[in-house]
Amino acid sequence: MARYAMVTDLAKCVGCQACTVACNTEWEVPLGFARTHVRQTPVEGTFPNLVSTFYVAQCNHCDHPPCVEPCPTGATWQSENGIVRVDPNLCIGCGYCVDACPYEARYLNPVTKKVDKCDFCASRLEQGRNPACVDTCTAHAKFFGDLEDRSSDVFHLVYERGARRMETADVAVGPNVYYLAPPEHFDLALASFPPRKPRLLTAGQAWKKLARPLIAAAVGATFIGQAIAFFNQLRKGEPDIEE
Amino acid sequence: MKNNGEALETGAIPSYPVPVAVDEAERMLQRQITKHHVAIILLHWFNAFVWLFELGTGLALITSKEFRLAPEWYISIVHGFFGPRGNLLHFHIALGLLWIFVFAVYGIFGYRTYLTREVIQREIALDADDVRWLVVRVKRILGLTDEPLPLQGVYNAGQKLFAILVYAMIPLVMFSGLILAFHWFGASFVAWAIVVHFAAVGLVASGLMIHVYMGAVFPEEKYAFFSMLTGTVNEWFAYNHHFKWWREVKLEQRVWELQHSPDQVPAPPAQGAPAAPAQQKSWFERVFRSPEYWPPYAAGFGLGLVLLATFLIMGQGLGASGGFTRYLTAALAWVAPNWTASNPYWSNYLSGGSPLFDFLVFELIGVALGGFVSGWLAHRFRAACDKGPRIRRSTRYAFAFGGGILTGLGARLARGCTSGLALSGGAVLSVGAFAFMLSVFAAGFIGAYFMRRYWL
Repeated sequence: MARYAMVTDLAKCVGCQACTVACNTEWEVPLGFARTHVRQTPVEGTFPNLVSTFYVAQCNHCDHPPCVEPCPTGATWQSENGIVRVDPNLCIGCGYCVDACPYEARYLNPVTKKVDKCDFCASRLEQGRNPACVDTCTAHAKFFGDLEDRSSDVFHLVYERGARRMETADVAVGPNVYYLAPPEHFDLALASFPPRKPRLLTAGQAWKKLARPLIAAAVGATFIGQAIAFFNQLRKGEPDIEE
Repeated sequence: MKNNGEALETGAIPSYPVPVAVDEAERMLQRQITKHHVAIILLHWFNAFVWLFELGTGLALITSKEFRLAPEWYISIVHGFFGPRGNLLHFHIALGLLWIFVFAVYGIFGYRTYLTREVIQREIALDADDVRWLVVRVKRILGLTDEPLPLQGVYNAGQKLFAILVYAMIPLVMFSGLILAFHWFGASFVAWAIVVHFAAVGLVASGLMIHVYMGAVFPEEKYAFFSMLTGTVNEWFAYNHHFKWWREVKLEQRVWELQHSPDQVPAPPAQGAPAAPAQQKSWFERVFRSPEYWPPYAAGFGLGLVLLATFLIMGQGLGASGGFTRYLTAALAWVAPNWTASNPYWSNYLSGGSPLFDFLVFELIGVALGGFVSGWLAHRFRAACDKGPRIRRSTRYAFAFGGGILTGLGARLARGCTSGLALSGGAVLSVGAFAFMLSVFAAGFIGAYFMRRYWL
């Protein structure tokens, strides 16, 4: 089974947003939202040693995706090739996963009322094509492939050129989008757009910590009470009509 | 029943339960009292069916380890049944919407019967006896006491408690379900709606377990279970389990019997007035000038002959809605000629010259004239509004107007009404006519049940 990964070479990225446009067109993303987009860090340092870089944000298809567990209906799931996908037929639009994602890669589509995000253009992959953002990248800064294929670009870039994951000590969930950049650029991007800790909405917490134990207790207590009653009934036998 | 000094005599209505002689008990076992209306029985089993499937699918829909109640194996079995997982959700939503629709229909047509203050007080309000009953009942089930149960009305306190729970939770279940199904009010409402849906259903389900256990397993409530099939319970069960209700029913029966007993002053039998001298009437007088309606079979035969005549003379059968369509087309073509000519539906009727140059147009004039002549001859011609006794004239007009709109719309959808499609089409054995007639009678049969109060 493949293990898909993407590598973005931040040193080559010119911030043209062609990937954003290609993706929005391919997936009919409504205005004001994006599955992927390019962000720019602030300028750091003192003249003339200034540093600034671009950062391409998208779903990282993490090894341990924090968005899968909070999805009540199982609409968010991870396929065996590592792609984290959303089944729009099952999604009820509760937004639990949106709050869980450390990379803010998910959005609630106001048209379909369902959650949407990058899926590495899974339908294009099935046709043997690359993701739209990779094909369209004007600077050839994006690479896509299978990390288990030693001849692939991404294998070379990750294991030989040292492309890195955007991870911190706090949030390390194994993202599969890697970034190739000079260390000071990489550190600046990570410091500017750090992954945040996965959150569970208050509603989800009320469900998990209050509603579920309460209902389990109510159903369980009823069941035990009935079991006692049933054995009493067996012990007594059925009463006659004339008491 | 501690009072061994007296025993229930046949026909007596005691104010507290007394021991019953064996032969009277046997007779009470035979006598049935009506407990549930057939509409409630149907609703109950429809509801039970829906809950079975909604609970079954709902349990399997929540797959997250953080929130789910069902074990993994159960979820995979249900998902196996339904194939692609979206199917399961769609089934759950579709059945839920049907459930809400049926309850809405019951609510709209039956609120005066099922939701009055008296019914609610009788069926869900707890009194002091009820509270004590709950304590004794639980102790008895757990085998802690043999104390007799306090007297109960038509529903015992346990049933009332369950009713309160259900009345409180069902609106929550329905409303949160609608929010979830249609993503109403935005994501933060959906995020809470699923928690409310889960918790409200869970609370009902824990009560439902007792409800099902009492009905299906618990021996003392056996007759209550069967009353949900037959609508009746025997007097013996009512006497022992719902004494207050039994007494009410018996008192009502006694009052009715007294009012209708032959001992009452009977209405004076009509003294045979001297018969009017039999006048010899001509056949015309008897057939056309009598205020009596014709026997329906004779009228039907006559209508068939008219239909045969129109086929012979005009080459087409009778119709009604088609004629109205032509009147309307003519009116539209007069008011907005260009729009009517460009409209794909109306322009059909403009193609052959004037829309009014058609048999049906003249036929409708004839129908009005014929009706007038027949009513006038039979001394029935008068201004009147035929309506049921329970509704006002304005209600009758509103329903007639609304029903007329539906009929007109349906007639155009079906490309014919009862005259053009069912009568004329049926006469030439058209398949569409028979499909239409079957549907009309089926829908009319169901609709008449719900509308009966407007006529009776």
